Amino acid sequence: MHSGGNASSLPLVGGAPEPTINQLSKPGRRASRFPKLDVPVTEINNPAIRHDKPSLPEVSEHDLVMHYSRLAHRNFAVDVGFYPLGSCTMKYNPRFADFVAGLSSFSNSHPATPSAFTQGNLEILHELEKFLIEITGMDNATFQPPAGASGELTGLLIIKKYLEENGLSNKKDIIVPDSAHGTNPASAKMAGFNVVEVSTDVRGMVNIDDLRSLVNENTAGLMLTNPNTGGLFEENIMEISNIIHENGGLVYYDGANLNAIVGVCRPGDMGFDIVHSNLHKTFATPHGGGGPGSGPVAVKGFLKEYLPGPIVEHNDDTYEWYMPKSSIGRMHGYHGNFLVALRALVYMRLLGKEGLDTLGSYAVLNARYLSSIISKVIPLAYNEPCMHEFVATVKHLKKSHKIKAYDVGKALLDKGFHSPTIYFPLIIEEALMFEPTETQTVDTLDDLAETLKVIVEELQGDDVSLESYPKNLPVGRPNELIPAKHLTVNWGDFELLEITE
Amino acid sequence: MFVPHSEIDLKKMFEELSISSLDDLFTHIPETLKLNDGLNVPSTLSELEAISHFEDIESKNTQNLICFAGGGHYDVYLPHTVKTLTMRPEFMTSYTPYQAEISQGILQILFEYQSLICDLTDMELANASLYDGATSVAEAISVAINKTKRDGVVVSNGFNPNTKEVVNTLVDTKKFNIKYVDLVDYMFPEDYIFTDSDAAFVVSLPHYEGSAQDLTTIVQNAKAAGVITICYVDPSMLGILKTPGSMGFDIVVAEGQSMGSPLSFGGPTVGWFATKKELARLVPGRIIGESRDANHTKTYVMTLRAREQDIRREKASSNICTNQTLNAVGSTIHLSWLGPQGLYEIGYQAIQKSSYMKQQLINLKFNISNAHNSLREFIVQTSRPAEEVILEMGTKGFLAGIKYSDNEILVAVTEKRTKDEIDNYVKSLNEVDNA
Repeated sequence: MHSGGNASSLPLVGGAPEPTINQLSKPGRRASRFPKLDVPVTEINNPAIRHDKPSLPEVSEHDLVMHYSRLAHRNFAVDVGFYPLGSCTMKYNPRFADFVAGLSSFSNSHPATPSAFTQGNLEILHELEKFLIEITGMDNATFQPPAGASGELTGLLIIKKYLEENGLSNKKDIIVPDSAHGTNPASAKMAGFNVVEVSTDVRGMVNIDDLRSLVNENTAGLMLTNPNTGGLFEENIMEISNIIHENGGLVYYDGANLNAIVGVCRPGDMGFDIVHSNLHKTFATPHGGGGPGSGPVAVKGFLKEYLPGPIVEHNDDTYEWYMPKSSIGRMHGYHGNFLVALRALVYMRLLGKEGLDTLGSYAVLNARYLSSIISKVIPLAYNEPCMHEFVATVKHLKKSHKIKAYDVGKALLDKGFHSPTIYFPLIIEEALMFEPTETQTVDTLDDLAETLKVIVEELQGDDVSLESYPKNLPVGRPNELIPAKHLTVNWGDFELLEITE
Repeated sequence: MFVPHSEIDLKKMFEELSISSLDDLFTHIPETLKLNDGLNVPSTLSELEAISHFEDIESKNTQNLICFAGGGHYDVYLPHTVKTLTMRPEFMTSYTPYQAEISQGILQILFEYQSLICDLTDMELANASLYDGATSVAEAISVAINKTKRDGVVVSNGFNPNTKEVVNTLVDTKKFNIKYVDLVDYMFPEDYIFTDSDAAFVVSLPHYEGSAQDLTTIVQNAKAAGVITICYVDPSMLGILKTPGSMGFDIVVAEGQSMGSPLSFGGPTVGWFATKKELARLVPGRIIGESRDANHTKTYVMTLRAREQDIRREKASSNICTNQTLNAVGSTIHLSWLGPQGLYEIGYQAIQKSSYMKQQLINLKFNISNAHNSLREFIVQTSRPAEEVILEMGTKGFLAGIKYSDNEILVAVTEKRTKDEIDNYVKSLNEVDNA
């Protein structure tokens, strides 16, 4: 191992299970203190008022801090180690962005504050819009969608409304590749479209013949990510977008894989009409253990008036909210995840032209290098140059030794790495999808490939119990059936189950 | 920036790939698509330069407005302990906890979050967060529609208008009939008649206008007609209000900002969602369950995954993937810090200070539209246009509230407001409105 802590040491502290905060509770303890009430007391008379105290744990502040700090020690994170996690772009999240997001009036503005008092906030959104439309090759953007899936739904509702207003309500089919992210078909369904799957050809790209056969007068649009979920650049993208446009449909860009092409090429130049970006992927905002994200949607000028609003407009020297005339409506209670958007702008500002022009190139360099050295250990799914991520497969190991992608992922955890994305895309058997991002060193990439080699050999040994991996972590593989069957989703549920069973 | 490659690294990598430049990585991309001159964006900034750039923009916000606005987002005191623990990098920079063995920290906290919310609302199953309060209302309506297969949705008009706009966007108004029911004297009518085509009844506790009522009878009537009842609750009032569960509701949703998140200009915050176990398989979003590993060690894991988009694709219960985990972590730690006494005090002090403020306003001949049944939030009438009053109050250092109508302002008081702040507000409002 050459890369130091992130690959050679186990970052997670084991020991006894951590009790819940409820188990640490003792009557009469408390952390909170409030100033004494400084107004005269009035009798509160309302039938909705309760006369007992709410049910919450009672703990001291020190116990509280120790409890949550111990839990932090049981959690892997970008700041702790390497996530070669395909489709998730787990790059370094600059600390500095958190500092800016913490500046008082950014973090403490009430969302209903009139724009006259929040010119700074509106300027942030305006500046970010300028960066985003330049990077994606679009004309206008909204920051309402709080995550990628919400961005997808926004895009689809825009397509729907655009078609309706143009007398094309018959167009009900959204074409989605069979390799697409699960959110694509789920969002299309939510927006009231029929989902039509287009197959993938042997090279791993959209099957153009199949696409032609599926497109007709009912085609509303196509959802695509480029590079696609196999990590391959759709070389025929212009032909694809032309096929959809010729049939009166719109082309939607799923921005999950935008990191690969920042500074290299732009969705707007490839014929895409609508783009969502995942700021928590491409633009380095912290993933937060599953959120908050931010999924701004950028569109070509002819779709501006359909954007969810209000959006920011710059007139003379002031910024104002503007509600697009044919807006699909609101996607969020206020302005989306503003502090996430702010962090993304900080990242873009720090990188500037120098960093953004080469962002995609370095992301691809790392992935291409990693694919080259990993291909010496396990085969790749496609014999094509990868972009920012690539898919390998262990179907041969499953055949010969019953070793599944799942087992390889679990064994990697023991060695201090997060598992790659497994079983995705669904069309590749025993898939392991790797995305290193541009912020990892070549040493770390070497260590991952070397570790994979060690694991694959180890797992093929006699007497190996695959289920016993991971072995060196606070817990082993969880029994996933118990909670699904018995709904042990609340404290006390599991203990109750043990008593009754 | 943040790219670690040295010349030596590049040489090694280029050799492995038999290329001589970064451009050689993209020979398969059509030339016509390539950005030959790169992006038209400003030059890189060092951290030091970026500090002044962003501090300059930040200074264009009016600073230190004393907040009397609510409408779902409240200026509740957020302790440093809660902030610093929530922002621990092990939580903040971690991924969704699909790999349970290295994610027990986040998983256990989310399990605690779900349990705390169930305890506070008298529900049985909470999810691990939704985007915000407004989208949570829309998701809850979807659950009711899926459960009942009916097409009517009864929504109290006592909601933040933005929330209603989100519902109108996310619920297909061509397929479903959304009926907004006006409040009568700021209360949802006790005698409202539900029909057997109604899927959902959605009401806010307290109402957007700040008035609160015991909703037990209305919930009973709705349930008798087979309607799924949904309560949107203000979490920072749960220490002093009767629980939605005790009133009989099937689903509870909330804008969780006041528990663990700064005001954040509205986002990121967190949407709470809790219900009964019988609706478990229709619930949107992630759910954490308690289990055991092979050694019978306690292990938390994401569960009921068969509802989710990455598995069920177009048949999923919702398209939600990324949620608001870190804000849910904030809610968990904040609620644990508060304890029963603290949460009670937030509600109690807010109501007391609001009562005091209403009295002071009334003393100066202001009309309060809903003086007698409002709690921490109320509507004050202005003789000048509300918009102008709010702008002028801003110049005196106050965020006066939210415009409710042309001559009404919705005012919210939290436990953070002091008697001095209230007195100064009342004095300023009197000057501004009588100017």
